Amino acid sequence: MSHEHERLVIIRHAPYSSNALREGLDVALVAAAFGQTVSLLFLGQGVLALLKEQAAGAPGQKATLPTIDMLEMYDIDQLLVPQSALDALNLQAAQLVDGATVVADDTLPELVQRHSYVMNF
Amino acid sequence: MEYGLLVMGAPYTSAAPHSALRFAKAVISRGHQVAGVFFYQEGIHNASSLMTPPQDELNMRDAWIALHHGHGVTLDVCIAAALRRGVMSEAEAKRHGQAHFNLDAPFELTGLGQLLTLQQRCDRLITFA
Amino acid sequence: MLHVLNKPPHSEAAAQMLSTVAEGDGILLIEDAVQALLHADWQGWDAAADVSVCVLKEDAASRGLSGAALNSQAILVDMEGFVELTEQHTKILSWY
Repeated sequence: MSHEHERLVIIRHAPYSSNALREGLDVALVAAAFGQTVSLLFLGQGVLALLKEQAAGAPGQKATLPTIDMLEMYDIDQLLVPQSALDALNLQAAQLVDGATVVADDTLPELVQRHSYVMNF
Repeated sequence: MEYGLLVMGAPYTSAAPHSALRFAKAVISRGHQVAGVFFYQEGIHNASSLMTPPQDELNMRDAWIALHHGHGVTLDVCIAAALRRGVMSEAEAKRHGQAHFNLDAPFELTGLGQLLTLQQRCDRLITFA
Repeated sequence: MLHVLNKPPHSEAAAQMLSTVAEGDGILLIEDAVQALLHADWQGWDAAADVSVCVLKEDAASRGLSGAALNSQAILVDMEGFVELTEQHTKILSWY
């Protein structure tokens, strides 16, 4: 399978701590709306964006989960999480939203290499 | 080659704008073009016309403007990121009923699509954040 | 791919970068990442096969690390050298 002209957006920030997560997801959504194939890789704190028990409407701040739920409508169905990122947060895959896929850490270099556009947020 | 720069750090808060500016100058001195700079996230503060650093510090906005005038580098600012942080043009200020504005030419408010266009047009895109 | 790191060598950003470095990639340390010069045992110096680690000379100098740079295995580059690295690598990924 060719990944030419495909975009990988790497999300590394937790919900609410900053606007980095929101604005990173916005880039993914706009790219998908432009017809690009977009995959998301969640590293470190970014994994927290995928917890399915996140309540909507934390006081005064826009919730993240509705945006995560929206990704599928934009055909962004690759939500990748390395096993070590889960382990570091003492999380299980079952705690993540349905679309999330856990990948082995040793696949990361190849994953990053094969996309033509890679951006870190 | 053509280069595009994505700047996501604010001046006087982050080293990112300084590194980006030095990089842009080196790109040009090696005979390449810098097609454009896109300001996103905290980087939108680079466009504020109200920034007034002490005289012994670089005025980052003026430095970007000099790059624009000297080398035709476009200075695009993400409109959504800028508006929510209180950086806007006269037209946007009017539209939103604000009494003041702090962004003007050669900085342009534009959508995120412009970033993707810049990336596709350029041989290289490099992020400073 | 050229990885550009601007956070200290033991930061989360650095660890994340190292988890994605592939054979033949390049690493450039700028801003706070030049502190790696103080850590000869930093994992990044031998990140993967055939990976060269460069340090932005002027960022090392401004932070008082010129001496450390001379005694290290790092390849020192100036800003034009930074641009040269981006000429050699078609993809550039910044870790911050």
